[in-house]
Amino acid sequence: MKQHLGRQSGVQSVDVSLLDGKVGIVPKEDARIDPAGLLKATFDSGVSVAEMDITARGKIVRDNSGRLALQTEPNRSFALAPNDQSKALEPLAGTPSIVTVRGWLYKKSAGKKKPEPQGELQLSVLEVQKKE
Amino acid sequence: MKKLALLIVLGFSAASSAFPQVKHVEMRVEGMT
Repeated sequence: MKQHLGRQSGVQSVDVSLLDGKVGIVPKEDARIDPAGLLKATFDSGVSVAEMDITARGKIVRDNSGRLALQTEPNRSFALAPNDQSKALEPLAGTPSIVTVRGWLYKKSAGKKKPEPQGELQLSVLEVQKKE
Repeated sequence: MKKLALLIVLGFSAASSAFPQVKHVEMRVEGMT
C-alpha cells in the first residue's frame, strides 16, 4: 500500500503505522495532491479505509449548485458537508479570506463490509485552524 | 536588470505562499498487514 500511495502524484512521503492502522501522507511543496485518488489507490491495494482526514488551506466559495465549498486550487474544491463549523464559514464565501481547516473527507458507514467511496467526496469540517 | 530579477523572485515567493493547498492527509485503515 505504501508503494501504491507513494506513486500517486503530489505525494512527498507516506508514513504507515501498523500498530494503530494510521497512514499519514505529506504532499509535495506544490501540493497538487488528489485525496480521491489516494482513497482509490488504498482500496485498490486491498486495504479498507475507515476514515480519511485532511488538513487543507483554501478559500470558501459557493459551487454551481450554491453549496459551500473549500477551494484549494483554482480548479479543485471540496464541497462542505453542512454542520456547525461549515455554518460558521458561510460569511466568508466569496471573500478573499483564506482558511485552514481539518475535517473528514471520507468516513466508513457503519455496517458496510467493504465500503468504497462513491460519488463526490464531501468535507465535514471538524476544526477551523486558521483564518487569514 | 537586478530590479527585474528581484521582482520575479518576489513574485514567485508571494505566489507560492499565497497558494491554497492540501497540507496533510491522514487515513485510518483496516486490514493492513
